[in-house]
Amino acid sequence: MSTKATPAVLLEKCSKWYGQVIGINDISLAIDGGVTGILGPNGAGKSTLFKLLMGRLKPSSGNVRLFGVDPWVSTSPYRRVGYVAETEKLYDWMTGHDFVSTLARLHGMTREEASERASHVLDFVGLGDVENKEIGKYSKGMRQRIKIAHALVHDPDLIILDEPLHGCDPIARTSIMSVIRDLGSQGKTVLVSSHILDEIERITEQIVILHNGRLLALGNLHAIRDLLDKHPHRILIRTENPRKLAEYFVTEDPVYGVRFAGEEALEVLTNDLSAAHNVLPRVIVDSGLKVTSIENPDDNLEALLRYLVGGAS
Amino acid sequence: MDKQGRGLAETVWTRLDRKAGAITELTIRQLRHRLSTWVVLAVGTLLLMSLLAMFIAGVRGGWEPIDNDGDSHDWDQDGYPAGQEFKYGSDPYDGFSFPGSGFFVQEGSFEWGSVGLYSGNHTWRYATGIFTYTWLDDSQIGGEEIIEVGSLKSCPEGELFEDFWIDWGDGCRMDVNRIAVHEASFVGNGTFRVQEGFYAEWGHFEDTFYVEPEPASNYIDEDDIDWTGDPNGINGFDDDGDCLRIGWPEDTEPDFWWGWDDRHQPDRNGNGIPCDVAWISDSSGNIIQINPDDNVDEDPSEESLAYEDAHRAFIIGTGKIAFVMILGIFLPLFLSLGLVRDETENGTLHYLLSKPIHRGEFITYRILGYLIISGGFVLIMSLLMGLVTASLGPGDSIFRLNDMILWFGIAFATILALAAYGAIFNTLGLLSSRYGVYIALVIGVYEFVMAVLTLGGATLIPVLSVSHWTLQLIDSIVLIVWPNTIEMHLIATAFDLPSGIRAFWNPPVHTLGTDNPFISGLISVVVLLLITTMMILFGQAQFKRREIM
Repeated sequence: MSTKATPAVLLEKCSKWYGQVIGINDISLAIDGGVTGILGPNGAGKSTLFKLLMGRLKPSSGNVRLFGVDPWVSTSPYRRVGYVAETEKLYDWMTGHDFVSTLARLHGMTREEASERASHVLDFVGLGDVENKEIGKYSKGMRQRIKIAHALVHDPDLIILDEPLHGCDPIARTSIMSVIRDLGSQGKTVLVSSHILDEIERITEQIVILHNGRLLALGNLHAIRDLLDKHPHRILIRTENPRKLAEYFVTEDPVYGVRFAGEEALEVLTNDLSAAHNVLPRVIVDSGLKVTSIENPDDNLEALLRYLVGGAS
Repeated sequence: MDKQGRGLAETVWTRLDRKAGAITELTIRQLRHRLSTWVVLAVGTLLLMSLLAMFIAGVRGGWEPIDNDGDSHDWDQDGYPAGQEFKYGSDPYDGFSFPGSGFFVQEGSFEWGSVGLYSGNHTWRYATGIFTYTWLDDSQIGGEEIIEVGSLKSCPEGELFEDFWIDWGDGCRMDVNRIAVHEASFVGNGTFRVQEGFYAEWGHFEDTFYVEPEPASNYIDEDDIDWTGDPNGINGFDDDGDCLRIGWPEDTEPDFWWGWDDRHQPDRNGNGIPCDVAWISDSSGNIIQINPDDNVDEDPSEESLAYEDAHRAFIIGTGKIAFVMILGIFLPLFLSLGLVRDETENGTLHYLLSKPIHRGEFITYRILGYLIISGGFVLIMSLLMGLVTASLGPGDSIFRLNDMILWFGIAFATILALAAYGAIFNTLGLLSSRYGVYIALVIGVYEFVMAVLTLGGATLIPVLSVSHWTLQLIDSIVLIVWPNTIEMHLIATAFDLPSGIRAFWNPPVHTLGTDNPFISGLISVVVLLLITTMMILFGQAQFKRREIM
């Protein structure tokens, strides 16, 4: 049905209002191939976008197409789509294998095919050894992974993941991220949403930024990031003697100022974050001081949005 | 053929079939994991088991002969059964009036409303007041209500009708030789003081003679139904002679005891033959009406009719009330309301709807899953009921196969009702997740009331209900399985026999004028399927347009 010319995901001037409240506003977008991060704070319209793609919602105006088909009208594109919803409810009384194979049968697989495919994807997401345990006994990370497994069971071309890392511990995060990266490297189109910049950064470079229902930025994260880096940044360094360390920093080129944040912390102000980070190790070694932590408080989505929104205005 | 070399049948139909299987199976497993499912099934089982226990106790208890016309009873306790009193023209409700009691000669009375005393040895009648006596005939005391001298209670302290009251026809003892009475009769020697505003009369009986009292059993099952099987022949015979009055004393006053009823008519059906029963058939030989003359075939033996009647009534009553009206309404209320609604509320719907399955199909398969659980339960229960009633029922056969067929018919009708209610309630759950349950309860009550009206024989208003058509389907199946039920119904009505069939079964009405139970059964099935389909389609239309958050 879809040819090379029809992208996996296409939105044309698409808007969705909930009464007076705007879900998404006039978004046009085409995505095909690779992992794309959908970034935006809570309420930016990420879930609305996904629900439009999955035919749960009808656009108030504009068009939505999955592989060239309107998902509100036809369920046929779902043969090629795997969707990991935000919902945390699962059938807790089922085993992981049961859950995945039952849903696989909704793709028209026989019981045997479904069982085989379920075992395969459960292995892929790293749940092979607990597939016969009840889902009610799964940890948060395992629950997220079982949701991913069900979305992958029919080997879809497009995978949509709504906040798949939400509430997971670091180990689960790492393993889910690697699953997503693997999918991308298999040549699938993957959409993954998050409100945490760092998470997306570790998965993909291709991002879409939503803010208040609008499409704020689209493209390579590094390009955006470079712009951001040229913006005033703070580096927060915790050390035993911030005053002494400050003396070493003020002479450095990328640094235009320092501030003391309490007894044991120093804020280094820079207009070029990466350059500042380049000199940072040398300066610390030179100073001979003990440093307990280095943080970038401005290196998050909120700061990025502030910058982007500020830049737009 | 697609690229894997599978034919169209393989790719479309088997895939559809697999999806249906998966959703249906998921639904069944979900229902199995819900406590409420088990609770409602357990309550249903308990209900049916207690009915079955009652049935078994009834069978074990055996069958007492029933006096259908009530003439074996000695209402006035004068020692003669009512039937014997009728024969002699005495009043079966007056203890002083009995065969051979003669006639009362009144000697005097108090004026109505007067106050006074009268003494002597008399028979006192309709007396209200206080009697101080030297002698009282304790075998002959009573009235239209009976007073037993030996068991008279003591009167409370105070004045009669001021401080205490005596029931009509009753009395009480005031002292060793003093009684107070109210509208009672007795024989004794003493002084009677009439109560102000009341009455009493006195006198004696003349022309008394002795008549041997007959045993009550002479008046039980004494006039069986005499049916030759030929509507054109002479049917009905007055076995006990109370229509023809064969062997009755010649001087029996005619129609004495029918005084409060209309007169005795030996040829009430007007066919020119006294004391017979006219069985009227239609052109195809089916009995459509039975017109008996008075007192003919009015007290048949239970062996032939009532036992079978009660057995059928148990099955029909259980099928209609326990299966259709209770299980048929309650199972869907508990099991179908949340079929789609709960998935939406839990958010688990997202897993199912992200698969290539139409929302409409989804609803259909959910209902199918619910039907397999609820219908399976109904089928198992009807099988169990059938095995017991077919083994223990009356008749010569060891196993009443027709019972079994009827039980399957009841299960079939109940399953159709389960489908219709399931579709209705599921749609209500979809329309309003908050108020759906209340609307469903209102509909449940409405359906129950319509079912009661249908049981009562109403044919017009209940047409707008699922229960009406389900009950009519059962009525039709009953008539198909036991064609003579309609005759039993007519017989019970014609001879005014106590009949469970009359209570629980009505001849099917929607037969398009053919009186054919197959037609009414078919119409009922079509209507029920139509309701189910329309409700499913309505639910699907609603669900298709629904935005799911």
